[in-house]
Amino acid sequence: MATLPLLFMIAALATIGWLTARARAVRFRADATRRFSSLPQHHGWFVTLATLLPPLIFLAVWNVTSPALVTDAVLATPPAAQLPPPGFERASILSEARHLAEGSSYGAFHALSQRLAPAYAAAQSRYDWIATAVTLLLAFGGGALAFLAVRPSFSARTQVERVVMGLLLAASLIAILTTIGIVASLLFESARFFRIVPIGDFLLGTHWSPQVIDPRDPGASLGAVPLFWGTFFIGAVIAMAVAIPFGLMSAIYLTQYAQPATRRWMKPLLEILAGVPTVVYGYFAALTVAPAVRDLGVALGVSWASSESALAAGVVMGVMIIPFVSSMADDSLAAVPQSMRDGSLAMGATRSETIKKVLVPAALPGVVGGILLAVSRAIGETMIVVMAASGVATLTLNPFASTTTVTKQIVDLLTGEAEFDSAKTLAAFALGLTLFVVTLLLNIVALVVVRRYREAYD
Amino acid sequence: MTDARRPHAPTDWTTPAMQRRIRRRYAAERRFRALGLLAVALSAAFLVFLLGTMIRQGAAGFTETRIALPLDLRAGGIAVAPQRLAGPRGDLALAGAGLERAVDAAANAAYPAQGGAALLSDGAWLRVREAVKRDPTLLTRRVTLDVPVATDIDVACKGDGTAEAEATIAALTGKLSRGLNRSFFTGADATDPTRAGIWGALKGSLFTMLVTLALAFPIGVLSALYLEEYAPRNRWTDLIEVSINNLAAVPSIIFGLLGLAVFLGTFHMPRSAAVVGGLTLALMTMPVIVIAGRNAIRGVPPSVRDAARALGASRIQVVFHHVLPLALPGILTGTIIGMARALGETAPLLMIGMRAFIAAPPDRLTDPATALPVQIFLWSDEVSTGFVEKTSAAIIVLLVFLLAMNGIAIYLRNRFETRW
Repeated sequence: MATLPLLFMIAALATIGWLTARARAVRFRADATRRFSSLPQHHGWFVTLATLLPPLIFLAVWNVTSPALVTDAVLATPPAAQLPPPGFERASILSEARHLAEGSSYGAFHALSQRLAPAYAAAQSRYDWIATAVTLLLAFGGGALAFLAVRPSFSARTQVERVVMGLLLAASLIAILTTIGIVASLLFESARFFRIVPIGDFLLGTHWSPQVIDPRDPGASLGAVPLFWGTFFIGAVIAMAVAIPFGLMSAIYLTQYAQPATRRWMKPLLEILAGVPTVVYGYFAALTVAPAVRDLGVALGVSWASSESALAAGVVMGVMIIPFVSSMADDSLAAVPQSMRDGSLAMGATRSETIKKVLVPAALPGVVGGILLAVSRAIGETMIVVMAASGVATLTLNPFASTTTVTKQIVDLLTGEAEFDSAKTLAAFALGLTLFVVTLLLNIVALVVVRRYREAYD
Repeated sequence: MTDARRPHAPTDWTTPAMQRRIRRRYAAERRFRALGLLAVALSAAFLVFLLGTMIRQGAAGFTETRIALPLDLRAGGIAVAPQRLAGPRGDLALAGAGLERAVDAAANAAYPAQGGAALLSDGAWLRVREAVKRDPTLLTRRVTLDVPVATDIDVACKGDGTAEAEATIAALTGKLSRGLNRSFFTGADATDPTRAGIWGALKGSLFTMLVTLALAFPIGVLSALYLEEYAPRNRWTDLIEVSINNLAAVPSIIFGLLGLAVFLGTFHMPRSAAVVGGLTLALMTMPVIVIAGRNAIRGVPPSVRDAARALGASRIQVVFHHVLPLALPGILTGTIIGMARALGETAPLLMIGMRAFIAAPPDRLTDPATALPVQIFLWSDEVSTGFVEKTSAAIIVLLVFLLAMNGIAIYLRNRFETRW
């Protein structure tokens, strides 16, 4: 049976279970004089959960395991004996047969898959029937057993609450599972990459040209140093050269000088900058800023100024980061006690002297932590560099020259042809792992700086 | 040593040297303040410039240029009985009758000097088809319909076109008109910019958001409740907490890699489907909801919990009957903000293949789909000049959605803000 009607049937059974169990509980409470540990609805929920959970868990497991079971059944049929040994061709024939059996494909490349298709269809329908029967049996059996347990002395509430606690814990564990998933998938694919390319070549090589990989020495054209440099140059040098002065001065002006009314308007206005999707910044950078930067370069005498310059991508990225820096600086400036400011002003310092010599040094750990977080966000930023930076990896200090970044290369490597085994696609995962590790370290350092070096006042 | 005890002579503030010094300090003060104002003003100016550029370029994308096309369909060889036009078979009947050819022939007859059929957009005959379905009598009489023109004429009409397109326009004075481009809102991606629309991408975004919300909201709220209300302080809950905080700081493209490796590589889910995009974005949005949810739950005062406990409520009842309803506005605000971020996200969707050319809006979660930001990215790569205004127009639509979502979040925060 198809999954959706099956789910509806389970839901219907669960609803019936809720209603009958509740009705039964209401009945035995009606003429009793004692106190009960559970309300009628607790009994209802107990039966509902007992009806729902076992079949749903079974279906989840079944969805993962049944394709392999079906394939095993097909492999046991006579035509399967002619299959080629395990490998790419065998997998493609099997998947073609599967599509034919499902009716989602109209023709076949291999004659064999046409002969395997009926076996596939038969095995699929057999296993589907087994799944349907087991699911309904579990739903009905679970519900019936739970219903029999609905008695005046039964404490349904404790049972239900135990299950709810389990659900809450399971929800929190998903965060760990995601983290494990990220780390495992990155590590696994990167390990395959480093079996092809020595890790030293990747981390220390200075030549990056994944379009032409020499199969005898793949490491020679997969040296990622230019990418690391480009990422650092765009994200941590140029972008921060824009974001730090603008963000810090905005925060100082808005917290120390501006009228409260101005502040109420300007702060959300600046925060819009952080809410604009990065694809919009990328479009703006590529279409408006990059040509302007190239013209500026030509006017300054850089005749070969690129229209995909590091400067265009970096400046736009810096603008995007401004509200991030300014709100972190804002928070840490606000955390400096008023008495320090008053003390400095009372000694005759002007407000700017107070800010420069008292407030900013006192708020420095917070500001530095904020800047580190901003750097980590800038080097992980993708769309701006995908649209505005070039794909050519160069080691250059010239902001008008073109550079590329790690994120841009990940996108480029994974959006060509989709063979999952080449050094080219696997390199993207190695780059992803590097990016993950670096941003994670930056975030941890930032948090440590904020926590440990924040001076405690009062 | 005796010097130190001798009282200082009081500073004479009136000497020219001191006056100069004070003037210098005050000037520095004014400069510093002006710098601060400049930083704020420049940041705001950049925002205004960005939005202004998009609106200036995009406004034209909502309109189309039309040309008056005299039609005589019966003479053009269209012999379809009006009653056959009813229902879904109408499209088929008209297509079989050669409507496209008839429209081209009409254009050739009306504007032979200006290029005839080349003047019309690829989608012009579709517009005629709609008109005929609305009013079948058009098949039997002479009419003049306004149909969209080809891209180069359209671009030239709106400002900067080639010299020959400008000449054509000069020859067509009086025949051209401007109108709202409704097919921009109802169409899907197309190779011809005059036919391209955002509905396909918008629907894909909608499906993706639906999956994201259905997964991220319950999981986020439940784990926030667990961590804030029940979790014992031990190494395991610390681990959960640390990984949630880390996930919130992981670059979005890494989630794309995860989606590619796990959902596509391991589970063999369909490529470029809204359900995979939704799953990937849900993993990204969940930590945002958890963190916002924990803050909201922490804001509910302990007295509420104590009161409920004192009346005999169990811990689950305390949480689901008292704490959660009180924390819900805060959780919703955080959810909307997280969803807004997910709506604007592009990079993870590129990784899982939602960058294909898809000319039909998706009907199911597993259909190949694209999303609004991805559509913007794809159009920004198009060489045809007509796509520049389409891209900006799509950006305006996306920004309107985001502003509306953020507006709702701010409204919720103000409306339900409670001081305990």
